Amino acid sequence: MNARLSGGLIDRSKPLSFTFNGRTLQGFEGDTLASALMANGIRLVARSFKYHRPRGIFSAGSEEPNALVTLGTGARAEPNTRATMIRLPEGLVARSQNHAGPLGFDLWSVNDLAAPFFAAGFYYKTFMWPRAFWEKLYEPAIRNAAGLGRLSMQPDPDSYDKGFLHCDLLVIGGGAAGLAAALTAGRSGAEVVLADEDFRLGGRLLAESDPLDAATAADWVAKAEAELRALPNVRVMPRTTVFGVYDHGVYGAVEEVSDLPGAPLRQTLWRITAKRAVMATGATERHIPFRDNDRPGILLAGAMRAYANRWAVTPGAGKVAIFTNNDDGHRTALDLQAKGVNLLGVIDSRAGATPFGDYPIFAGGRVTGTSGRKGLRAIRLSWNGREEELSCSALGVSGGWNPNVQLASHHRGRPKWDESRLAFLSHGGPEGLLPAGAAAGEGSTAQALASGQAAARAALEQLGTPAADTPLPQGEDRQIRTEAFWHVPGKGRAWVDFQNDVTVKDIKLAHQENMRSVEHLKRWTTLGMATDQGKTSNVTALAVMAELTGRSIPETGTTIFRPPYTPVSLAVLGGGDTGKDFRPTRLTPTHHWAKAQGAVFTEVGQWMRAQYYPQPGETHWRQSADREAMAVRSAVGLCDVTTLGKVDVQGPDAAEFLNRIYCNMMGTVKVGKARYGLMLREDGFAYDDGTCARMGEEHFVVTTTTANAGLVLRNMEFARQCLWPELDVTLISTTDAWAQIAVAGPRSRELLSRVVDDFDLSTEAFPFMGCAELTVCNGCPARLFRISFSGELAYELAVPARYGHALMQRLMEKGADLGVTPYGTEALSILRIEKGHAAGAELNGQTTAQMMGLGRMVSVKKDSIGAVMSRREGLAQDGRRLVGLQAVDPQQAIPAGAHLLATGAAQTMANDQGWVTSACYSPHVGGHIALGYLEQGEARMGETLVAANPLQDQQIPVRIVPAHFVDPEGDRLRD
Amino acid sequence: MTDLTPMGALGTAGPAAARHGALTLTEDCAITLLSLALRDETSALADLPLPGPGAYARSGDLAAFWTGPGQWMVESRDAAAARAAIAALPGARMTEQSDGWVVIRICSEAGAPPLRALTEKLVNLPAETLAPGRATRCQLHHLNCLVTRPAETELCVMTLRSAALSLWHALEATARRLPAAAAT
Amino acid sequence: MLIPHPLLGPRDAQEFTYLGDAALMQRPDPQAGEAAFADYVFQRDNPAGVHRELWYHEYGDRSWLVVTRDTTTHEILGAKLARNVKMGLPE
Repeated sequence: MNARLSGGLIDRSKPLSFTFNGRTLQGFEGDTLASALMANGIRLVARSFKYHRPRGIFSAGSEEPNALVTLGTGARAEPNTRATMIRLPEGLVARSQNHAGPLGFDLWSVNDLAAPFFAAGFYYKTFMWPRAFWEKLYEPAIRNAAGLGRLSMQPDPDSYDKGFLHCDLLVIGGGAAGLAAALTAGRSGAEVVLADEDFRLGGRLLAESDPLDAATAADWVAKAEAELRALPNVRVMPRTTVFGVYDHGVYGAVEEVSDLPGAPLRQTLWRITAKRAVMATGATERHIPFRDNDRPGILLAGAMRAYANRWAVTPGAGKVAIFTNNDDGHRTALDLQAKGVNLLGVIDSRAGATPFGDYPIFAGGRVTGTSGRKGLRAIRLSWNGREEELSCSALGVSGGWNPNVQLASHHRGRPKWDESRLAFLSHGGPEGLLPAGAAAGEGSTAQALASGQAAARAALEQLGTPAADTPLPQGEDRQIRTEAFWHVPGKGRAWVDFQNDVTVKDIKLAHQENMRSVEHLKRWTTLGMATDQGKTSNVTALAVMAELTGRSIPETGTTIFRPPYTPVSLAVLGGGDTGKDFRPTRLTPTHHWAKAQGAVFTEVGQWMRAQYYPQPGETHWRQSADREAMAVRSAVGLCDVTTLGKVDVQGPDAAEFLNRIYCNMMGTVKVGKARYGLMLREDGFAYDDGTCARMGEEHFVVTTTTANAGLVLRNMEFARQCLWPELDVTLISTTDAWAQIAVAGPRSRELLSRVVDDFDLSTEAFPFMGCAELTVCNGCPARLFRISFSGELAYELAVPARYGHALMQRLMEKGADLGVTPYGTEALSILRIEKGHAAGAELNGQTTAQMMGLGRMVSVKKDSIGAVMSRREGLAQDGRRLVGLQAVDPQQAIPAGAHLLATGAAQTMANDQGWVTSACYSPHVGGHIALGYLEQGEARMGETLVAANPLQDQQIPVRIVPAHFVDPEGDRLRD
Repeated sequence: MTDLTPMGALGTAGPAAARHGALTLTEDCAITLLSLALRDETSALADLPLPGPGAYARSGDLAAFWTGPGQWMVESRDAAAARAAIAALPGARMTEQSDGWVVIRICSEAGAPPLRALTEKLVNLPAETLAPGRATRCQLHHLNCLVTRPAETELCVMTLRSAALSLWHALEATARRLPAAAAT
Repeated sequence: MLIPHPLLGPRDAQEFTYLGDAALMQRPDPQAGEAAFADYVFQRDNPAGVHRELWYHEYGDRSWLVVTRDTTTHEILGAKLARNVKMGLPE
């Protein structure tokens, strides 16, 4: 175990235990899993993706490419979490991943020995042939060997939520720049959201040893945070990662609400709409590739400094060396020295570099190799013409800093190379997103504070809010000089992208194979395509490629970044509701009644509808459906038809408006009467049908099919607002207001007469297609429509939805002696097929009024939507017509969707004569029947054809009959 | 009145109710809702000035909120009086809506903050859109909802009656997930 | 995306349904004949740049809006009530 250093932002009075690969270890409150592992002397924490190389902790932040671990157990096991981002809680269970056998002896590490075969493009080249082997052999084998952690394959037991925030200023990042921006905007009264991915605000300030004014940086941060939290207009959100930037100032963020198993809420997905945002996302240190630079114990120098200053740990028990091409590496050396770490010295690639303190310097030196299989033991130093091996337990590498410009690229802003800073700066980012601090290349504390404040002031000015005076503390203002030294050339493998195991050699190879564009390089080598999106590798890879091609970095170009900034779980993107709560469900007013009767339900869009009501002894749905259908034909049945869309159409121009909406004449419907109506699309095809009941001179109630209820209202509103705004008409959807029950069958009048209050139901007083307002059951307001979908004498009775349940019960009671039977959608469908009524399958968007046999309905006396196009040649000449089909063998089912062919004809498109739209067993006919569209159908009654379903090799002989299997004259419904 | 027994939108005999922290959710079965549409510029319904876009107004027993250009939803505990007031407006079109919507009132015992914490989990709207005296139609858990804010400590959410259980689930689950600090 | 609703201010695009080219408001006279209707129904401009298009505030006040949007940047240059546009009324 490494001894803890002095100081740090850990609470030594609060020890925490946790386990890693089954070993119980101790950390302190304030630790991350990474710092706690380091404090316990654990260096080997992971195996790499492809070669299964031993890997350790490389960074101290969200850029971590190596230290991916699985947290938790059972269903809660979560793979691929970055140890550097896990706040250590009591009892944390962590495991390493991607190895066969123990972490220290991974069987898959044979891949490393075979590495010469696994160069860039290896998979593409090797596993191409034979093709059939890919799916069965290669892919499973590769997937087994390569990769990250494994899913539990169990449902996620945790709870997630979503939410929406609106603010004037979103400050992304709570470091020096972010805090300065938030304080400035917060004091000015703007609505501010401050989000930081860390569990503690402060950003890089927590990792440094420099004071702010006279206080420690951590004290200043605590004071700033306290002030911000006290402001009612500021919302401070630690552990919140802004992962994506979307149009018009919309930002996606994930808040880690609780990491405790079983907490009521684990994460929240926030959609933040911000008028302006400050991108104070800091910078990520680069490394310098050299041979075998991936051993545990080799870290980013700035991360090493963070571990020492914030967490009081050092990655090596022995000597520590720094390899740098810039001044910042020396800052790490000084801080480590101040903490009493045994410093081997600083290897500075710059000839003539001088030390910043009292430590050995190897100016112009290079690290050319390392040794130590499971952790660094020694480095090879090339310096002053000599090569020597130096014993060393940890090496900090500093290749300069890359501003974190990812968010600014989410809208295809392409970062621009800044030669003076040797870094890409954001360029052409989304409007309203203002970079500040290290993310803008303003890396000293003083610069970060000032630029954060300047960004906030600029945002406030754009919003017209006067900026309050906000004095800032004095911070260090070192300017870092960096040399453009990108990698140490030489033999062996020098890693560029640790997570995807991409080396300098792979980049060279890609170049040799003519992958000259950056985008090709990326895809061929997979560089930057791992879960870390190449945060520590992209720029270095570009520089190496530039060197290879002899071009400058700007000439070489850059890839852009896409959301998410860091990985986001699908669970939180799902927003919390799963299973039956994933989407809304709509219930009919008689749902609870039907459920109590044992009804089986079916989903119709969002609606749950009773499909059939099984009775004792019925073992198959068809027994129930046939019984229900027969009851309607012989007695009376009840069916909840509330789901049909209902639109209230009112106004002096209501009749004219409906004339233009429906292809048939609607304006002439008399008050107290209803009419069947067909709507066309403007291209002339049939769209939707329903009834139009005239309740008053200027008042119609229109019904639509269940499926199109919302769409028809949208289209009617389009016509009202965009086509004919001069018409005085208003539309109100009333689908849910009325419980509507179909009362159908020869005894329906008799049943109804027992519930209506003083209402004459005789055909003379209330004929077919009549409609009326009345009361039922001693004063319940109601609407009655005499319409029929089944072909029987039938009515639809509507009462306010709250009475639907009771009305159903009342009708069942009152009709017991009449044989009243509730029926579901199956019987409904049988009844309408028997009657030849069109429904969804006949109105599928590819059919016309003419095909449905309703061609004459399209009025030529008036204009209506689709009327002109319905008369165009292609449609007018279409000879297909709706026909009935009867199975020659009544017991043979006719498959819906089957195609109609002449008997014996080959099953080819050329021989296709039509298709079956709807089919059922008809208890009325006593055999299987169907509806379908057939070429010249009207003229072919009695002919025999084949309904062919080649998918199941079915060929069913069918006879062509009229589409009305029941009461073709329509006497029953007019009775 | 009829001898049929009404049922609440949530399938209960009486109004459904639940409590989470400082928030109480109650189904309001007694309110009368009437759609009012007007072609001409009319400024008042009886004593009630008709509110503009996004607004909610109340006068005595009559309240109304804007639902679209020339359209309002009128609320009242006195159905007959509300109908009479609308009928008295020349050119007014009225549509009975009391049974078209489930109405859930959410009251806070701890001032506005718990309501704000709840609404920011539910609707993608800036807080001022739901300040007292405001109302809007919006999306909530994929439901088409009307949300009004009659008072500082009262929020009212309505959706299509058929989706009552889905709305109730959304409201309850969200209230349950609120951090204790926000819910009290 | 945010749609600047002329009456309700900026509202999230999720509240809206998109239809397309605002030319759909220019329905030909019924006497104009099939060719005019064929053009109206099937022909659309598909500009890379400024486009006038129809959005329906389905989860809102049910207004149809004419939104002017740059299809290459998603910048929204304005939004008007379609009804007012059609009637030639001011905002």
